[in-house]
Amino acid sequence: MNLNLTIAHLYPKHLNLYGDIGNIICLERRCEWHGIDFQINNLGLEDKIEPSKTDIYFIGGGQDNDQILIVDDFHKTKYKTIQEDIENNTVLLGVCGGYQLIGHSFLMGDGKNTKGLGIIDIETKAPGKEVKNRCIGNLIAELDHDIYNEIKKIYTKDIKILHTLVGFENHWGQTYFTSDKVKPLANTIKGFGNNYSAKYEGARYRNVFGSYMHGSFLPKNPHFADYLIWLALVRKYNDRSIKLEPLDNKEEIQAHKYILDRYVK
Amino acid sequence: MYLTLIPIIIFSKILTWFLKVTGEGSGTALPGRIIEKYFPRTLQKLVSQIPNIIIITGTNGKTTTQTLLNSIFKEADINIIINSAGANLSRGILSEILKQCSLTGKIDCTHAVFEIEEGTLPKIAKVLNPKIIAVTNLYRDQLDAYGEVDITQKYIRKGIEQCPNAKIILNYDDPRTSQLTKKLPNDTYYVSLPDQFSKELPYEGERTKQKSKVPNYIKAKNLKVTPNLTSEFEVLGKINNKQIKFDTQTLNAYGYFHVYNVLIAITVSKLLDIKNNIIKKGINKFNPAFGRGELITKKDKEKTVNFRMLLVKNPAGYSLNLDLIRSVKNLKLILLLNDNTADGKDISWIWDARFELLNKSDITWMILGGTRAKDLQVRLKYALNEYSEYFLDEDINKCIEKSFNNANNNDTIFVLPTYTAMLKFRKLLGKKLE
Repeated sequence: MNLNLTIAHLYPKHLNLYGDIGNIICLERRCEWHGIDFQINNLGLEDKIEPSKTDIYFIGGGQDNDQILIVDDFHKTKYKTIQEDIENNTVLLGVCGGYQLIGHSFLMGDGKNTKGLGIIDIETKAPGKEVKNRCIGNLIAELDHDIYNEIKKIYTKDIKILHTLVGFENHWGQTYFTSDKVKPLANTIKGFGNNYSAKYEGARYRNVFGSYMHGSFLPKNPHFADYLIWLALVRKYNDRSIKLEPLDNKEEIQAHKYILDRYVK
Repeated sequence: MYLTLIPIIIFSKILTWFLKVTGEGSGTALPGRIIEKYFPRTLQKLVSQIPNIIIITGTNGKTTTQTLLNSIFKEADINIIINSAGANLSRGILSEILKQCSLTGKIDCTHAVFEIEEGTLPKIAKVLNPKIIAVTNLYRDQLDAYGEVDITQKYIRKGIEQCPNAKIILNYDDPRTSQLTKKLPNDTYYVSLPDQFSKELPYEGERTKQKSKVPNYIKAKNLKVTPNLTSEFEVLGKINNKQIKFDTQTLNAYGYFHVYNVLIAITVSKLLDIKNNIIKKGINKFNPAFGRGELITKKDKEKTVNFRMLLVKNPAGYSLNLDLIRSVKNLKLILLLNDNTADGKDISWIWDARFELLNKSDITWMILGGTRAKDLQVRLKYALNEYSEYFLDEDINKCIEKSFNNANNNDTIFVLPTYTAMLKFRKLLGKKLE
């Protein structure tokens, strides 16, 4: 049987800063290399969606005006479906502005707090006075151990899994969890991650993931990209025994290690 | 003149000289930075002597436009002052003026052409009090510097608002640019390319039609890209009720998008009453600005190898340059990606550049270099259907050596470097900053 996955790219016209498209390119190419059929649905303003037709949702960051524009549309045309899908363990990845957006509130450039998409229990607030600069720069974080251990089991062979995530962060807003249903994706090693003091980066609730890393995120963290693909397959085919054949990740790992070598002694 | 300025000017001139002698820099920004901090009114005092100041801003094409104007003004025997490419923040401009003025602060120029970085415009527009401001285009650029192109657009608008008497030249085809003087009192002049070319450009937003209703408007007609990648075109339009017409004109710049820069240069020149034949001579004598289509040659006893430098700073520019070279036969390529401040520390923009354009190219070989060469390698792996491993070395010198060894006599190699990689590449080949 040929496996296939459908990815919904949320608001690609409006939310497309910082090379976010790299994450879609990465999922598409890796599925191709894994022999999985792959389809992309671009979901724009007013586009309606049906439940359980999507295997992976992706949402990137946008400019302030565009983010405001899509919040209203989201609540009108997409919220119910996506909420239902997520409770059924559909995969969703939000990156940077997209990560902030999936929470209950996010921060505009002018410092105003704005209602978010409300997909997971996080909120993003303005920093206190102790914070002088944007959180900006290369970001390195160690994957949550449970996730790391699970990634080890998704392949047909025993391979060395990258224990870190790398990317570039650039945000002013400080992100906090508002319930203990949400867990950190990784522990910050270099840079900030969610906020100035937490030492955590990213979030996970069921199969919803958020991260501040662009760079782009998935191409430089190939095992995590495969993990999202695997989670989507397991849910879709309701079969936890599915395994992926490991791909040759030489280039991705070289780029990943370059950042590690540069910042972590 | 201003007696109080004398010690400041002497100090800055000594500092510039010292920086050059010690090799600490080309002396472009530091004197300006110090004096801007401690004597903030210096710039205003000095520039107020120059009656005709022209500002060029926008994401891409600033330096090429300035170089074109420099060439035309030379033909017109106009004595001008310009800031060197890259020194486009206020301290860079101040440094340049301090270098060129006499010890008493006297400037011998009637005209100045300053390229100004978009975010700097509102901080400096009022002080410079320009006669003309031209905006080339507005693309996404070095996002870690500004955040958002919406904000950049606001900066430029704020800059224009401070100069109600300035004449404004805008790119008609770029929606982010063409609306910049909406509801402002400024006289506005537009430039445009034929639709089949302008629609290939990654402008953002909805185009306005109805070109015919704009009173001051010149456009390129019968535009052709020549086999050696330069452009041929005619110019037609109206400026201040006068017909403008230029017969077939060639431009020695790589990529049709530079034709916008010529149209801006023509408009500036006409607004300053320069005659057509002089403008034409200036355009014909134009040579690409450093790094922007510049040809650098390396020789040894056995062979001569040419490097065509195509500076890339943002996704739009990268895609346009890839599009330009993709049909070259036996393409030999060096891609260099650095992540210093001037390049943008966040290199995720390479995922917005359309490397997929190279998929049908006839690539003989490719070399990857610069601090983030390995990121380029990943980008290419995901972009190319027939990806193969390319030579990679972060050390740009090693890339030059490798390419020289690979090349045959008289080969032309296309080099796409980010800003600091371009500076490094030129320096390694013995080129100095002008």
